[in-house]
Formats: sequence, C-alpha cells, structure tokens
Amino acid sequence: MHDEVMQPSPGPAVTGRTGASRPRWWPRFRSPLRSTAVTARLGRALGICFAVCFVTGMLSHYQYQPWSWLPVPASPVQAYRVTQGLHVATGVAAIPLLLVKLWSVYPNLFRWPPIRSMKHALERLSVFVLVASALVQLTTGFLNTLNWYPWPWSFPSTHRYLGYVLIGSVLLHIALKLPDIKYGLQARLGDADVLTEVPWNENPLAHSNAGTVPPPIMPAMDRRGLFVAVGSGIAAVVLTTIGQTVTPLARIGLLATREASKGPQGVPVNKTARSARVLTLATAEDWRLEVTGPAPFTLTLDELESMRSVSEHFPLSCVEGWSVGAEWRGIPVIDLVRRAGGDASSRVEVFSLQPNGYNHSMLVGPQVGAALLATHLNGERINLDHGYPVRLIAPNRPGVLNTKWLRRIEVT
Amino acid sequence: MREYRIALGVAGGLLLTFGVFRLVTELDAGDLLVLLVWLIAAVALHDGLIAPITVGTGIALAAVPARGRRYLQGALLVGALITVIAIPLIGRKGTQPESKAILLRDYTANLALLLGMTAAVALALYALRVLREQEPAGAPPVQDETD
Repeated sequence: MHDEVMQPSPGPAVTGRTGASRPRWWPRFRSPLRSTAVTARLGRALGICFAVCFVTGMLSHYQYQPWSWLPVPASPVQAYRVTQGLHVATGVAAIPLLLVKLWSVYPNLFRWPPIRSMKHALERLSVFVLVASALVQLTTGFLNTLNWYPWPWSFPSTHRYLGYVLIGSVLLHIALKLPDIKYGLQARLGDADVLTEVPWNENPLAHSNAGTVPPPIMPAMDRRGLFVAVGSGIAAVVLTTIGQTVTPLARIGLLATREASKGPQGVPVNKTARSARVLTLATAEDWRLEVTGPAPFTLTLDELESMRSVSEHFPLSCVEGWSVGAEWRGIPVIDLVRRAGGDASSRVEVFSLQPNGYNHSMLVGPQVGAALLATHLNGERINLDHGYPVRLIAPNRPGVLNTKWLRRIEVT
Repeated sequence: MREYRIALGVAGGLLLTFGVFRLVTELDAGDLLVLLVWLIAAVALHDGLIAPITVGTGIALAAVPARGRRYLQGALLVGALITVIAIPLIGRKGTQPESKAILLRDYTANLALLLGMTAAVALALYALRVLREQEPAGAPPVQDETD
C-alpha cells in the first residue's frame, strides 16, 4: 500500500536468471512494509477466522440437517445464537483482513517468469482457487446478511460447497508455504525480509536468511504501525456491526444491519405474512390446528388458547447472524404430543399455512420436550408477521426453523 | 516438517476436491457458469483494480513529508477498511419491508462519522508527535526507533 517505487531498483543488481531476464517495464515492489513476517502474521489471523467460519458453518448446517442418531440438543439455549453470531461476525472481520493479506502478497503475482514449470503452474492455480473462493465466499456471505442475492444459485448449498473448496485451499496453501510461514512467524517484525516480486531465495536484498542483512528502513509507517492500523480498522468494523447480535452494543451499531428494537414486538421479522401469502388463511374464522398421530385431534383457536401455557426466555437467532432475546408464552409442544398418543421420544413435524419456502420443520429428541407453540411474544398476543395464530419456538434453533402460522402437527 | 506438509496437503486436497465435486454435480450448468464468472471476476477486480489503486495511493503518498505520512497512511488504511463494509450497506439501505428491521440506519452519515473520528484520532496522534518534538531545550530529544 505504501511507498511503492515501481522503477528499476537502485540497489545492487538482482542476481539469478529470473531477476535479470524480466522486461524493464515489469512492475517492481519496494515497500519495506511487506514482509514474510507480516504476511505470516496476517495469514495466521485469517486462517483462524476461516477455521472459525468453517466449524460454525458446519454446526449451522447440522442444525438444518441433523443426523437421526444425534438430534440437536435443546441446551445451551443460546448455543446457535453464539455460534451463528460468531460465524457472521468472523466472516465480516475477515473481509478487511483478507484485503490486507492480499495486499501483503500482491508482488507475488508478478513473479518472473510467470510460469516456470508444471509444478509452479499448479501452485499458482491453487493460489487462484484460494483467492477466488475466499473473495466470493466472503462477499456473497456478507451480501446474504443484507438480504441481497445478485446471483442465480441457491445460497445455502453453494455457500457450503464453496466452504469446502475454501478450507481445502487454505490447508493446501499452508502445506505449500509451511517453510515461509515458519520463517515469517519466527522472524522479528522490524528486521524480517522485505517481500518483493523477486522470490527471497533469488534476492539477496530481500531475505534475512541470505546472510546478515540490515533491517529495512521504514521512513513513514512501520510494520508495527501497520498492524495497529489494521487492528483498529477491523475492531471498528466488528464493534459497529456486532450490535445486531450482542444487544448491549446495539447503541454503537453504526454499521449494524438489524435493529431488534425496531422490529414489531421487539423482534425483527424475516418473512412477513404478506410475502408468505398467509394473510387471509391466518386470520380465517375457521382456522384449526390439526394434530395427527396415534390419537389424532383438532383444536379451535379458543381450545388451543385455553390449554396450559408457560413462559420461556428463548432467543430468536437468525442464520444471517442477528439475534435477539425474547419472552415467549405458549403451549408446551409435549402436551399436544402426549394427547396425540406420543411421548418425548416422538418425531414431531410442524407445517405452516405458508404455501412454499421454509414451510415445515422437524423436532426430534430434546427439542420436543423444550419447544413451545407460542401465542404471546414479549407480553403481547403474537402478531401476524411473527406467526399468528401460533408459531413454533424452541431453544438453540435457527430462526427459520421456528415455523410460523402453524396449521398441522404430525406426531410419529 | 515434511510429514505435516504431506498431511495438510492431502487433507486440503481432499476437501477441495470434495467441494468442487459437489459444486459441479449439484449446481445446474447455467448456475455453475455464473459462479465461475463470479470467481474469475472477483480475482480480476481485486488484482486489476483494488490492488493497483492501493499501490498507486502508496506511490502518491511518498510525496508527503515523512513526519506526518505515517498518520496519513494509518488514517487512510483504517478508513478504507471501514468503507469496504459500509458501501454495500449504503447501496442496500431502505430496500426491505419495515417489519424486518433491517438496513434502517443512515449508513452514509454513519460512515462519515467513523471516517471523521479516524481522521481526528490520526490528527491528534500527529499533533502529539509534533509537540513532543518541540520539547524545551535541555530535555533529551525523543528517539524514534523507526525513523
């Protein structure tokens, strides 16, 4: 970023076939800020971010498609709120971090000759896959949190497959660069090599291992200053966006996407009753809740509302990384399951009036005993956009799986 | 180190192959083509536009006197990293139904505020440095390791 001199270097001539034979107009990079030591430290931070994103992303996928032998636990209640909040926050933080990491290795794009051998070509291809998948994964992930989908493919599955591509490329990259990483992390920031377009082993000026090289002179910003600036920028981004899930920081959420307090009944809505096309169905006089199972039965709204209800504090945690704690009041699902002839070990599927989209979901294992059919939210009768007349709410569960506008419950 | 490299390389290669295999088999041809365009365009946009702008800014900054340059560099860097996140928010503001409680803030004003704060901090640090360098005679001159 800084102090580039894209002219022939005034220092001693670069030796080796690669340096000598490149065209005179070929770009040259001289910023002493760039160093294997800088790149390795940035890479370590970015690698940790990608690992966190991958693991939390897989946990989220597991929420949507759990294995039958390992049902999703009902506690900790806030688990999905934490893992998915972390997933999105880490992904957002990784965007500026990735840009700085790419800045730090930009000279490597201008290695001469561009391709030396088959092995070199494959190595460059693997870097292309890494950079392309990282840029696209982070960009599309971020745009998804803005409910912005300027692409034709289904986001969840493509995001997941691209996640495999990205984490695989990262591991491959670490394998290829391990000697450089080892040198970079061991070297002191101030006197490590200067990373230029000439590989260190061909550039006696650029690599401390080539002998005793005086520390590079940094007339303006130095490498520690670079990390202070990058850290400050990323901290600013994280602190001003994370208020969408860490409620106490909502007040400084200058760049936060969701504002829970502005949502109806204190909770944002993702699918409105209008866009789900349930306005008339959900308010119809003849609405009934049908419960199927060994002993099927049907409830009118009055009958449902006269059943035993309990209050629970469950968060609504969206896959998009926002979440909010709320007080829900409703009928324990297990009461209806028992009445239909099932028990805590039953599989329960709930169906919405919504004609398409995420219009049904499955409760298995511990979630059956913990879930509510919510009729009240934060002390008020639940409104249409939140799923009137009745919706599902369960702990440790992605928002969209808390199916709204229920019409049928199947107990098997 | 060799064993680690082989283990990492094999694991990475397998995950990468699995991901590519799933993409190729699960996406239909049209979507796959658009994804390919996205992947190439992302790299082209970064390597061909974003990075050269950054490098060009660095070259232009070389004209700024060294004493103040680090603060200008720092402010520009912090500002750029914040702006990258703010731009999509500005572009997307107010496009969604009200009950979603999404993208309601004035992100342009908020970005201006953050950039203003960044500039103020950089200026304050610069002023502090100038003041320190003007300490009364007799006091030892402030040594700067990096200049």
